[in-house]
Amino acid sequence: MAAHVNLKAGQGSLSVVPARRARLIALLASLWIVLVLVLGAGWVILVINQARQISALQELVGRTDSAVAAQWGSTRRRIVGESVVFLLLLLAVSALLVWLYWRESRRARGMQAFFAAVTHELRTPLTSMRLQAEAIAEGDQRAELAQRLLEDSSRLESQIDKTLELARIEGGGPLAEQSVPLRGWLERTLGIITEPHGTRLEVKVHVDDPLPPILADAAALQMILRNLVENSVRHARVERLQLQLSAQRRGSQVLLEYQDNGEGTAVPGRELGRVFGRGDNSKGTGIGLYLVRALMQRMGGEAQFHSAPGAGFRAELLFNTSGESAT
Amino acid sequence: MSAGAHLLLVEDERNVGETLAERLRAAGFRVTLASSAARARQAWQAQAPHLSLVDVGLPDGNGFDLARELRSAVPQAAIIFLTAHANPEDRVRGLELGADDYVSKPFHFRELLLRIQNCLKRAQDLAELPREMRGVVRIGRARVDFERFSAEVAGTQHALTHKECAVLRLLASRAGKAVSRDEILDKAWSAEEFPTSRTVDNFIVRLRRLVEPDADEPRVIRSIRGVGYLLSDLKHE
Repeated sequence: MAAHVNLKAGQGSLSVVPARRARLIALLASLWIVLVLVLGAGWVILVINQARQISALQELVGRTDSAVAAQWGSTRRRIVGESVVFLLLLLAVSALLVWLYWRESRRARGMQAFFAAVTHELRTPLTSMRLQAEAIAEGDQRAELAQRLLEDSSRLESQIDKTLELARIEGGGPLAEQSVPLRGWLERTLGIITEPHGTRLEVKVHVDDPLPPILADAAALQMILRNLVENSVRHARVERLQLQLSAQRRGSQVLLEYQDNGEGTAVPGRELGRVFGRGDNSKGTGIGLYLVRALMQRMGGEAQFHSAPGAGFRAELLFNTSGESAT
Repeated sequence: MSAGAHLLLVEDERNVGETLAERLRAAGFRVTLASSAARARQAWQAQAPHLSLVDVGLPDGNGFDLARELRSAVPQAAIIFLTAHANPEDRVRGLELGADDYVSKPFHFRELLLRIQNCLKRAQDLAELPREMRGVVRIGRARVDFERFSAEVAGTQHALTHKECAVLRLLASRAGKAVSRDEILDKAWSAEEFPTSRTVDNFIVRLRRLVEPDADEPRVIRSIRGVGYLLSDLKHE
């Protein structure tokens, strides 16, 4: 019935509170601006009256009319000028306060949504682990349950790693950039990254020969690739996941392209990897792709994401070269 | 009805879905596992469930919207939301949409089992209609069909939730007499939902929007101070 009788979802007694608070704040802000205007106008009238009295006193002590009128005109202009500046300053400060409040509210909502998403990501593998542990405790000894437990604990570990890395990067943590020959690095690292996902995953790699070494932090590079793979595993929704990596020269830089064969998404590439201010229906936290972009920028490179329904997910990572000769 | 009842489990997280489905089957239920909203629609069209466990976050939609569709398509099915979003706003939203219960992840399987059994029992109680409640009953401006979980108001059909049906039926069965808030809570809510007398009052406000000609001046469902509510306008058609 709720959908048909003018009772929209989210209008329950609890959700009414923020709306009331917003109305109260709007009322207080309006009162503040009215108060500023009234006080400003009162001040102007008061000063003008004072000036009139001063000019009247000057007349009484014997100054000529024209001299008094000239002085009065100059005083009035100064008072009006000062009043306008004073009022504009008050209005500017009021507007600044309103803007600061709006920005802080938006930031607080973003943070709340972010922590809700992180909590969601931690609760989901915990639910699975608890279900499996309860089944094992009740005597179910299948190896499949242990396998699921391992998968879930890896997911939990990865989520915690990503959250900590996000805190480190946002806090300005340093990177140790060095010369990395991409071919050798991919050969050594890809197996470690894809191993937890077992045989569900097939990876093809093509690296142009010769290719100059890139300038990168090896740990950050591993985090970037792991996040891309986990993103594909999580969102591709295909029975057999195929990943294609190709590296080639682009001008003075090196381009590493990453493509999966997943279902893809209609979310625009620039929206992918947003951590704060995401939509309600977003799955995951967005930390993985956010970190890919942030780490690439910190290494002086660039990351772009592309996806469309039926076209899978593609990432373009542009690295600076280390200046050493091609391998 | 618990043993052998058909449960539709809508859960996109593979490990959670498969393990939960296995455990529910071991507990004696028939379980259909759907990993997306689209697959859930196919599943309930193929066979209507007695109860559906719906994850709120789905890859191709929102569990709340899916529950609304399920409520229209299979009104007799009970709905329990499973969610990792544990904030009170989501809980209120879920219950307003007609969920019979709302379970936060991570949960104990035995607790979930208990909630499923309670929901199935309440659904069964609703399915067993006394003779006088069969057919169409006019309550205020609404023509209510308890068998079909529906109400017609000014030519528009509305799907009734299980709680709405339970409360209306209780008031209708005692038409002309006051029913206490405690009794309403006892019949329509489970203890695990932590209901209060205020829960009943909020719920009555919603029912009044359905049955009262003027919800601001209620004459069909009247408040009896210090006791509860009284239904005064009931006609069998």
